[in-house]
Amino acid sequence: MSPSAKREERVSPTSTSQPHFLITTIGGRYLAFEAELVQGVLTNEEVGLPRHDPVVQGIPYRAIDLVERLHLPCEWLLGKASVVLLADERSRGCVRVQKVHGILETHGAQVLSLPVQFRGPERRWYRGMILFDRSVALVLNTAWVFEEQVEGVESSTMSKGISSIAA
Amino acid sequence: MLRTSGNSPHHETHDSWHLLVFSVGGRRVAVKTLEVGDISHWDESIPVSGQTPFVTAVVRRNQAVLPVFDLSAMLQRVVQGSSLLCLRVKHPDGDMVICIDEVIPVLQTLDHAMIRPYQGTDVPAEGSYVQGQDEVPILSVSKLGMGPG
Repeated sequence: MSPSAKREERVSPTSTSQPHFLITTIGGRYLAFEAELVQGVLTNEEVGLPRHDPVVQGIPYRAIDLVERLHLPCEWLLGKASVVLLADERSRGCVRVQKVHGILETHGAQVLSLPVQFRGPERRWYRGMILFDRSVALVLNTAWVFEEQVEGVESSTMSKGISSIAA
Repeated sequence: MLRTSGNSPHHETHDSWHLLVFSVGGRRVAVKTLEVGDISHWDESIPVSGQTPFVTAVVRRNQAVLPVFDLSAMLQRVVQGSSLLCLRVKHPDGDMVICIDEVIPVLQTLDHAMIRPYQGTDVPAEGSYVQGQDEVPILSVSKLGMGPG
């Protein structure tokens, strides 16, 4: 099945200097994507099977299983889900999410670094944290999200450096 | 939220250690009072997927986010009580919080001569002391999350 462009919900933010994030819930946790990389949001029905790579406007998006990569609870996959389409200069992919909360415009002080006590490969998984809804949304590092899921990739990527969007 | 035991902490000398003694899963553990930030009621933590041993969640305190050190997992215990407490400790990399039993922690002052090396290996410790039949480790806060104790 190839979703039509009309059913694709554009979520690109207005152009400002403030960072924007698409806040989602995956596996019961708030996870955020940089909004400028979000190409749209589709329903699960529009995309097809969980591991089916959707084609939107003739462009394929590789299905990315963040539930598995982040070891998240997967019971929610049986229910209604949405799919977030992502793209940067080199890669395209889509992520199934439990819920899309919307775009959050943040100010510098609202984006926090991951505490340095987190010393494992997760420092590459996340680019920071956002205060959201009396809780915290972890901002995913899109470069890591796009990486092919290869056994042991997490440990091998530790030496590639860590980027942070926090001030 | 504290009880006192032994000498008053106001009568500090160089030969005494001022400790806060708390429980995790019924196991008594001490920490230097100078390394304690505060104690509050435990709010739900926010899990963070990762691979750092014993650091797998954060808690939000107003505009701040603090990492949680899972001391109960390190001790292979389960925290006890329906109204758990949150112990904030001063780690060199930034404050961390520890979920502890609902039992009210006790302030204790010990003579330096009572401190001895900790015989166990389950937690990083600066030393220990004997209370009854228990050896109570004095937690080395700076070494929490730095690898095996």
